[in-house]
Amino acid sequence: MPKHIISGLKYIAAVNLRKQGQTQREIAQALDMDRSTVSHYLNGRNLSWNSIEIAEIVTHFCPKDFLILTHALLNDTERTRTIIQTCTDSKFEGIIRNSCIGCGICVDTCLMKAIVLNDLKAHINDEWCCGCLICMELCQTNSIEIKEVVD
Amino acid sequence: METTEIIDGKNITLERAGEEDRTLIFKNDMCAVCGLCETICPVSAIEANPTGAMIRTEQDMSKIDIDVNKCVLCGMCSSICPFQALDLQINGDSIRELQYPQLIKSAEIDNEECIHCKACETACPQDAIIITRELPSRAELITGEIDIDKDTCIYCGMCEEMCPVDAIDIEHQNPTSDNPVVATDINVSEDICVHCGICKRICPVDAIKQVCRICPYGEYEISVPEINGNSYIDPELCVNCTWCQEICPVDAAKVTKPFEGELTIEQDTCQGCETCVMVCPCNVLSFPKSAKSGLKAEKLHKDERFCIYCGACQKSCPVDAINVKRTQINYTPTKSKAWKKAFESLKQ
Repeated sequence: MPKHIISGLKYIAAVNLRKQGQTQREIAQALDMDRSTVSHYLNGRNLSWNSIEIAEIVTHFCPKDFLILTHALLNDTERTRTIIQTCTDSKFEGIIRNSCIGCGICVDTCLMKAIVLNDLKAHINDEWCCGCLICMELCQTNSIEIKEVVD
Repeated sequence: METTEIIDGKNITLERAGEEDRTLIFKNDMCAVCGLCETICPVSAIEANPTGAMIRTEQDMSKIDIDVNKCVLCGMCSSICPFQALDLQINGDSIRELQYPQLIKSAEIDNEECIHCKACETACPQDAIIITRELPSRAELITGEIDIDKDTCIYCGMCEEMCPVDAIDIEHQNPTSDNPVVATDINVSEDICVHCGICKRICPVDAIKQVCRICPYGEYEISVPEINGNSYIDPELCVNCTWCQEICPVDAAKVTKPFEGELTIEQDTCQGCETCVMVCPCNVLSFPKSAKSGLKAEKLHKDERFCIYCGACQKSCPVDAINVKRTQINYTPTKSKAWKKAFESLKQ
């Protein structure tokens, strides 16, 4: 069953990456799949629609659950980052308050590798922020604010 | 991502592995229990233990406690510690070497100016200074001639016994029937002899001829050799107290203190318990001896020239008789507002 969910997630990610203009080769590399499998997926073959439906539901979990479940299923940070980023519709904006002391706990915890330290302060790359709020929950100086960007 | 704690005797090490490997090292021996780390810690993870107990008695515990569940290894405590007792390392490099705010403090001895008198080495409260010097041999500072007439000499050994520098050596022996003498030879080492003339004067048979050339020709004949040496201040141990600078007779030592401020003592409140005197890492405080028995001396004497305003005395005083006010903290600029605020908060 976990494998079916992963396949479903990879299917959705593959379709989204194709929409973004990536080639089958690039998609295969990004998702760690055979090119032939990517080709089958993009042509709607070799995958049960039920798996895709479940994966769809998973992508609409709250961001933290989506991230943790995906990471647990894949056990691979890089693929997790790709899938979460391509399958998340919402956009987030991270704000670091001046109270940040640059301890780096958020950097260490962020599964999306969206945070870096610069001049003793954390900086969030909104491109990669998935809105899981794990950094905000762990920040000991209460310096992180994550906002969902509404168009 | 979890912080682990390693206790080695009274030293503490906290570690967290992640994007960067962070290690916080506390060296108990270096700590003066000033409490600056406790004050600056943004997550209240540090608690300094009671100074009196730490200083006066053998304690099993460390001078400070670091709560492993609270510490985020940000490094503020290491940056502020004036005694290098705390050190945060990121991927093995001390933040003293990285782009972190640092206390601006220094101490150096100009070896060109230094005359290697060792006053600073003696005065340094932290034994951080080592002065090495190569003194010339005594013979280089004196000139003369000495000769022992071995035929006249009766080998009584008086000269050997009285020579203040052990320059005379007699080959003593027990007389035997085939060699019925008390000694076989007498020699004087010209390198060691200082031409004091004692041997000549004690000799009962006038066997020794000795002249010191300085006396007839005056002092100008001997050029005093240059004294070579080296000075070293251990940066780990130095607390920038300026004792070396103040005691140096030739102004060869230059010290920059990390803090400026004021130290006030309420003589009436002071109970003379001596804890502050024991805790002060800079030997600022002392109890003057009374001039006469039965006469009361000044209670607690301070010399603020040596004070770095770390606040250890104030923290240690059980009756709040000491106040340390920091008016200036010298540190390298930082873009981080949180760090700036933390450093500035230590001023009064």
